[in-house]
Amino acid sequence: MDKHGFKKILLRHETILFAVLVAEWIFFEVIGRNFGTYDNTCDILRHSCEIGLLALAMTPIILTGGIDLSVASLLGLCAILFGKFWRDAGMPIPLAVACTIGVGALAGGLNATLISWLRLPPLIVTLGTFSLFRGLAEAITRGVDTFTNFPDSFLFLGQDRWLGIPAQAPFFLAAAIFFWLLVHRTTFGRSFRAIGFSPEGARYAGIPVARRVAMVYVLAGIVSAIAAIIYTARLGQAKADAGTGYELFAITAVVLGGTSIFGGVGSIPGTLLGVAAIAVLHSGIAHALLPGEMAGMLTGVLLILALAGSTLPKMISSLRARKAALKIPPQAA
Amino acid sequence: MKLFIQKLTTFLLLASIAGLTGCNKSVGPSSNADGNTASAAKPLTIAFLPKSKGNAYFVSCAKGAQRAADELGDKLIIDGPTDPDPARQNEIVDNWITLGVDVIAASCENKEGISTALRKAEAKGIKVITYDADALPDARSFFVNQATSQGIGYALMDEAARLCDTNGEFAVITGSLTAGNQVAWRNYVEERRAAAYPNMKCDAVEACDDLKDKAQSETTALLSTYPNLKLILSTTSLGVPGAAEAIKQMGKTGVVKNIGLGLPNENKRYVHEGVTQSVILWKTEDLGYLTVYAADALAKGALKPGDKTFKAGALGEFEVQGDNIMLGKPFTFNKDNIDQFDF
Repeated sequence: MDKHGFKKILLRHETILFAVLVAEWIFFEVIGRNFGTYDNTCDILRHSCEIGLLALAMTPIILTGGIDLSVASLLGLCAILFGKFWRDAGMPIPLAVACTIGVGALAGGLNATLISWLRLPPLIVTLGTFSLFRGLAEAITRGVDTFTNFPDSFLFLGQDRWLGIPAQAPFFLAAAIFFWLLVHRTTFGRSFRAIGFSPEGARYAGIPVARRVAMVYVLAGIVSAIAAIIYTARLGQAKADAGTGYELFAITAVVLGGTSIFGGVGSIPGTLLGVAAIAVLHSGIAHALLPGEMAGMLTGVLLILALAGSTLPKMISSLRARKAALKIPPQAA
Repeated sequence: MKLFIQKLTTFLLLASIAGLTGCNKSVGPSSNADGNTASAAKPLTIAFLPKSKGNAYFVSCAKGAQRAADELGDKLIIDGPTDPDPARQNEIVDNWITLGVDVIAASCENKEGISTALRKAEAKGIKVITYDADALPDARSFFVNQATSQGIGYALMDEAARLCDTNGEFAVITGSLTAGNQVAWRNYVEERRAAAYPNMKCDAVEACDDLKDKAQSETTALLSTYPNLKLILSTTSLGVPGAAEAIKQMGKTGVVKNIGLGLPNENKRYVHEGVTQSVILWKTEDLGYLTVYAADALAKGALKPGDKTFKAGALGEFEVQGDNIMLGKPFTFNKDNIDQFDF
């Protein structure tokens, strides 16, 4: 690899974020107790699985210049509906899972319809469904009904290990590979970026903008439903307040991962690193016996550091390039 | 640019070397600590989990817990959720498991949800005790029970009778007509009245839906419907200030007495104005103190299933009923003592 290519890789946002993640890990390993153990690594993975799934689904949405604030509310709605299907409708677990995913797709479809066909702004639409889904979940359970006593075979998915790794990890890995292929290895991915840069331009270039935009919101609905099932298995209960606040964690992870909130730029590996950086921070703070409130503060610091870290070198090099360009004419003359 | 990259690489290398040597250092003492488990002098690490961290009720519990830990020479970790995510308590417990604490003392927001994490802790050899709000019984050894429904119901009725010289009419403001704890408390109020104070009569029971405004309007209606009322008794915390506001606005301060279950801070003003005579609850600091003493004794093997009593430092003996350690009778906050409490 030539020097220019090496420099390019070193200055990529993902590389800088990876360095930050490694530094974070080392820092907490030094000041924390039992932080870097295998058990804790598994716990970090278990705790970040649902937020990770939501962040994966959020990445293509933000790539198209959109946003989905309703994912965590939908997680809550799907969690209690899954409980309803299983306990009240007497469905076997696999059927209940299938129905829940169906509900997720429908709810995502509602967002998609309002955004891509009625041309309403995603922020407004999903702010509405953010309240709607959570409100439905609360109305169905009247805020108090809790679904619990799930069979052990189901709880295994959220609480136990399979071949030495957390049982939910393979699902997360599968989702990560799916979204990586979608965003980086298919024409869909390129069309998301094109839409993010310029929806009108994409339309003139022959991209079916409405269909592609609809697709990412339906996908987010399906992924929220899957996250709801994993969440229920991890906690052993489904209540209307499941996943409160997860949408902001997911968006933070995506932005931390270098995806531009204006759309067009971003990557799945970046998002995964963003999720990891936040999850390691939360776990590290607990293991260093620091107050939990620091997590929010440090997430902010991390976000600013990572963004500044990836912007500054680019700015410096562009300044130098401009300087160099200014120097050339006298020499040539 | 090249220079910059060189500097960056050197820095990263140095940082990782520093980190690695740091790692080795940190492994040393922790493995030593593990080797020392046999010695009795090793201070215990007790992890104390409130339902929510900023809540004044739990801040006060934690104060008592810290005092107990200081007396016992134990290390106390206090952490709790600061956001409404119900999974947060589980995550905190999971972190404590890998951290390797000796005892976990938890007040549980979601009984079923947190029990899975607490069972996992027990499987790893960590002792588990609950306080304030119990987990499922198979997920902990003991529950520090701050008050039984009977204790609360009887205390409310006894205080009402004392203020009315054991005869006269009173009315009850309840949170809801159906909620389990409210029904239980009302039944014990009635049981105590029938058995001990036959000259007292309960005219009405009204629900305020846990709203202060509704408690106020219901009390206003009660006072005009039953002019002989001598006392309003609330079985819900927002009922007490609501009823107080109604009594005050109708100019019946001191004529109609006002008591109920509640937090001192919400009622201080009315207590000093003489509108509200007493507020009944338990001493939250004592709850935290007793919990930490019990946690310490559990880990040291001094507290075992089947014990009938338990001695907690300066507070003395407590009764143990089955696997419940009883904090004892509720405490009455009144004009003379209410300013000493801040929750």
